[in-house]
Amino acid sequence: MASRMTDVSTPTAAESIPKADETPAPTIAILLDLVAGADLQAALAVLSRQVYEPSPKVIIVGPTDNIELDLHDADGVAATMEEAMAEHGSGVDYFWILHSDARPRPDALRALVSEVERNNAALGGSKLLVAGSHDELESVGSATDVFGEPYSGLDRGEIDLQQYDVVREVAFVRSASMLVRRDLAQGLKGLDPLLPPVAAGLDFSQRTRLAGGRVVSVPSSEVYHQGRCEKGQGWREQAGRLRAMLTAYSLLTLLWMVPYEIVVGLLDSIGSLLLGRWRPAARHLVSWAWNLIHLPSTVGQRLRFRNVRSARDEELFRFQAKGSLRLRELGSELSGRVLSVFDDDQALARGTRRLWASPGIWGAAVAGAITLFAVRTIVFSGVPDAGFSFIFEAPNVALDRWLAGWNQSGLGSPATVHPSVGVTGLISWLLLGAEGAARTLMTLAFGFVAIIGMGRLAGLLGLRGPGRYLAGLVLIAGPGVSVLTSRGSWLALAAASLLPWVVRSVLEQGVARRSWASKAGWAVVLALPLAAFSPLALGVPLVAAITWVGLGGRRISAVGLLATLPAVVVALPFLLGDPGWLTDETRRLGLSVELIWPVVVGLAALPIVFFDGLVRRVALLGVVMALGAPILVALPYGGPGVEEALLIAASLGAALVVAAALDRISVSPGCLLASIAGTVIVVLSVAVIADGRLGLRDGDINDRLAFATTLAGPEGPGRILLASTDRADIPGEARPGPGFWYRVVDGASVTSDQAWLPEPLPGDRALDQALSDISTGAELRPGDLLAPFAIDWVLLEGPRFRLDDVLLAQIDLVPTPLDPSSRVYENPGGAALATDGVDNGWHRQGAGFVGEAGSGRVALAINHSSGWQPEAGAIEWWTSVSAADGEALFAGESVNRALAFAALVLLITGFGLVVVGRRA
Amino acid sequence: MRFVGILLVVLLTAGAVAMPPLAQIEPGASPGRQEPPVAVCAIEEGSGRTTGLSVLSTIDGPLSLTVFAGGETAGSIGHRTGTNGAVTIPVVDVAAVGTVAGLVEMPIASSAAGVFVSGAETTSAEACASLPDATTFLTGATTASGDTFELHLMNPYAGSALVELTVQSEAGLESNERFDSVLVPPRSSRILDFTDLIPGREQISVLVETVDGRVMTVGRQGASGDSAVWRATSPAQEWLLPIPAGSGQRNLVIATPNNAEVEYQIDFYGPDGLEEGLLTGVLAPRGQAVVDVTSLTARETAVRVVATGPLVATMWQESEEGLSVTTASQVAANRWFLPNAARPEDGTATLVILNTAIDSGAVVVRPLREGAQELRLTVDPDTVTELALADGTGYLVESVGETVVLWTAKRPQSSSAAMGIPIFDG
Repeated sequence: MASRMTDVSTPTAAESIPKADETPAPTIAILLDLVAGADLQAALAVLSRQVYEPSPKVIIVGPTDNIELDLHDADGVAATMEEAMAEHGSGVDYFWILHSDARPRPDALRALVSEVERNNAALGGSKLLVAGSHDELESVGSATDVFGEPYSGLDRGEIDLQQYDVVREVAFVRSASMLVRRDLAQGLKGLDPLLPPVAAGLDFSQRTRLAGGRVVSVPSSEVYHQGRCEKGQGWREQAGRLRAMLTAYSLLTLLWMVPYEIVVGLLDSIGSLLLGRWRPAARHLVSWAWNLIHLPSTVGQRLRFRNVRSARDEELFRFQAKGSLRLRELGSELSGRVLSVFDDDQALARGTRRLWASPGIWGAAVAGAITLFAVRTIVFSGVPDAGFSFIFEAPNVALDRWLAGWNQSGLGSPATVHPSVGVTGLISWLLLGAEGAARTLMTLAFGFVAIIGMGRLAGLLGLRGPGRYLAGLVLIAGPGVSVLTSRGSWLALAAASLLPWVVRSVLEQGVARRSWASKAGWAVVLALPLAAFSPLALGVPLVAAITWVGLGGRRISAVGLLATLPAVVVALPFLLGDPGWLTDETRRLGLSVELIWPVVVGLAALPIVFFDGLVRRVALLGVVMALGAPILVALPYGGPGVEEALLIAASLGAALVVAAALDRISVSPGCLLASIAGTVIVVLSVAVIADGRLGLRDGDINDRLAFATTLAGPEGPGRILLASTDRADIPGEARPGPGFWYRVVDGASVTSDQAWLPEPLPGDRALDQALSDISTGAELRPGDLLAPFAIDWVLLEGPRFRLDDVLLAQIDLVPTPLDPSSRVYENPGGAALATDGVDNGWHRQGAGFVGEAGSGRVALAINHSSGWQPEAGAIEWWTSVSAADGEALFAGESVNRALAFAALVLLITGFGLVVVGRRA
Repeated sequence: MRFVGILLVVLLTAGAVAMPPLAQIEPGASPGRQEPPVAVCAIEEGSGRTTGLSVLSTIDGPLSLTVFAGGETAGSIGHRTGTNGAVTIPVVDVAAVGTVAGLVEMPIASSAAGVFVSGAETTSAEACASLPDATTFLTGATTASGDTFELHLMNPYAGSALVELTVQSEAGLESNERFDSVLVPPRSSRILDFTDLIPGREQISVLVETVDGRVMTVGRQGASGDSAVWRATSPAQEWLLPIPAGSGQRNLVIATPNNAEVEYQIDFYGPDGLEEGLLTGVLAPRGQAVVDVTSLTARETAVRVVATGPLVATMWQESEEGLSVTTASQVAANRWFLPNAARPEDGTATLVILNTAIDSGAVVVRPLREGAQELRLTVDPDTVTELALADGTGYLVESVGETVVLWTAKRPQSSSAAMGIPIFDG
């Protein structure tokens, strides 16, 4: 121990005590704070050995009624700290507040005075060592988070090897041993008597700093601390810290800090319960209760402190860690528990501890947790089958259709199906034909892919805060995508989740460690599925890149940009077969962004314009997309494909704005406004996906229509006609009829390839005419009119309308109470989808039809196309084929097949480039 | 850059907020409503009675009769109206299945169908109903003095029908669970025998409210060994009723389904023309009034009933020659079809024409049978004329001014009366 006193790092008396001809040494009064159970005489004896001149006066502070005092070593007694301080005038320069369970080394006071004077500080704290240990460190001053949670930076049981022996400013010092300027201490009215020791030190330190004083830790002043004062203070300390914050912070800070604290408390409680600990939850509750009870007193403290305050809260923030230390510790512990399964030496756990210190990771964790919550219904009940989201066909059938096979949507068409059918078919095939599992897994993945993608994109653009991952929630549930998913657009969710990745591959010029082959490969691999899910969304990265450059962003990746463009090949067959999907505004779903979104996006973005260049640029990129897209979507140009892409772009834009708005949290008005508006956007988004289905429309159309299969004859189910005055009641795309919307779906199942209806063909026009005739009410036998379309069932949805009235007075559609939510009519006279006239068992199989071979012909209740084999013919709008082969198959145009194969080749090439790029 | 940024944010926000959303795309307009040219007829076969269905049309076109019973098609037959535009189908040739419903699909809207039920001592005639209203009302029935009354609910359509009956008699509002939620299965009839349900009532009115589906309703009254059939119709505030000359009791029965008082005025078409306000009165809520027309005159005559609320007017004629009941007409028209109107083999038939026009009107009475001569006559304004009918399938009555036409048939111990069917199209 003696050697330590002469350690070169420890200031010596010769260095610090003024010489006789200089300014006299400061006068000190020791305020010895009584601690229950501590040996007062021993404390006084230790103080008497202090090497300091002039000898300090010793005042015993606290209730002394039950103590036998030998005041030989003390100069006075005071009931309270404030009283003790008030007794001294200008004759005293400093108070040394010392707990009676503290045992300072003889030079402790001298070192304190010396360093406080030298550093021009107002408050200095000693290095606390655990009494009775081998120099185990207890405190060398601490940082805190915004909630006052102390962070010493010490490991448990860490030995003092002078590794912290540097005088430095700290957030707070412990009240066990602190030296404070007399005038300041009197102005601050001493320690808050309601607070336990650590919280009291925190409170006093914060008030000192806000009063304009510096708070330093003086490691050369060593004090052994018995820690008696802290026994049994668990919840009291937490309550005290909260009171300290409520006392110190300005109202503006409290405005966001209090809700933030409540959220953190909730998360901490839930996380702790997961770890089998109930006390944290109880502590939070009790601590708030205690503070509510003492609220008047806290208000009084604030009022008293108001006159002394001279600095803003930012002075406190300088010494605070970002985020919540409690949550950081909790996250570390949770991941440690998980990693401990295969991480015996805790190396990973130690790594994760550093990881959790990043605010971005906390944003990711919160976003991930919310996403987990947002997919709960999908996990337990599967993906909804409603709106535009339907089950996948078997992979071989789906791939058949995509490779220029027959499009069975509506009354059928040679036009190629939506390109997503190819991707989902491919993924189902890779999952060994488990198309149901593929659909669920893909949907679950979308949420997380979006969050990570958004975090990576915002990270690439230079953002580091928690907002970049939280923005992922806005991407999948923001202004545009939420509107689409509410109509059941599964594809919008898919496209939105991929979009930031593709944008990133276009903007990642600055990432030098990747080769051009890798960049191009990734761009192709990511852009292909994006174009398949939402063909026009492929234009969004291009627009983003141009805007980014226009806003002064760094150069974009030409390789990435050029590599994304060929991905359009995957959508070309579909776009060429159904150009109305691009151009026909009457086919739009009529979706628009709700007014609240542009308002909050504007509010979030406006303050960011005043930030430095990087964040501003990201926000402006977001603004252009988030606010420009809704304007464009309100213009009567373009079909549903344009509408879809614009709405997805709006969500991406809003996500970028949120990432920028939540990149840094501070109390400056601009930052605060941006943060609040950004938080509102996140909350609005979370509300959308809180249903547990990622915002997808609820329902199971196939379950509702299962009766068609159950009650079908041996030739299998035909078609179902659905009609409603509310377009949203119709699954997938609907056609305008006479006063209502309608479409036909396959009675066997409504699959994803039927979401969109191809351009009308003669059969579709004949059905339209039949429905017009029926809706006049003049047809007594509407079933007869619908029979040629192989319509076995009619479902009327939504409010009652004209068809309800006319079907009351008809004689061949039988009302059947099979679905409580709609009016169901059976058409017993509906024609079979395929018939050879002699009942040879022709029925549908895969994308074609099979039956007994014969010399006759088979009539197919599908729009006529010469692509059907063998020997296609037409019967009015029907197709007929020869029954000679016992099967009827469709071969689409070779150019469409070539394009589909080209997309496959492109995908393989993309993967190849990725592999080559990695090796390079 | 900062200024540009502010401008960009403000302008785009304002644009996004102010930009009206694209107008919602609506489906096409609903086409005009058309009634299918069909009629539903009350058919009786068996128990010594048989039904003849007469279909009249302005064209020579196809028609079919389908008889429904017990949810099934009991029989069906196709015909053409022929060059005369008239055909009579003996229902016994299609299906002899008791008291059922028949659906007649007619060639064109300007067509009409009616049934004539005859037995050894009974005769009844009534026009078949086109698409029924959801609420209909029937009055003039009785179950007192051994008289019988049945309500025949017919549903020829593919879906079930559900009706609520509100039955009022001189005893008040009848409370019987058999009147609540009466289900009429598809392609079926439901017959409620009021003689058993509420015997001894002298004045019965029935309000038929369709909750689901569509139902045609007729009342079938048995009295003095004869029977009469008449349709439930939608209530109205004005009614016109030609009344044939004759002995016995001729009553005008008026009743309202409204649960409120209804003031009414009865105008009388006498020998000197229209005598307005001959009788006035107030119907109690859901009340009924019976006017003795016999006390006014024994000649052919007519009445017009005008009321402040909805009611239904029905003629009840009972004499030694039997019973006939028919509901008045809500309209006057220039053309009338009279299905089945013809002299029975063992009786007589009379056409009663009320000229409601302000001028004397030339009326052409055209028998719809091969080689028949049309009759031309002039009817003074606001007067009533009777004309004896010959054999045939039915009549077409055309006039320059508007008229109201009714026909009656009398056989020994039985009689019938039926309003004509106005033709507005074709």
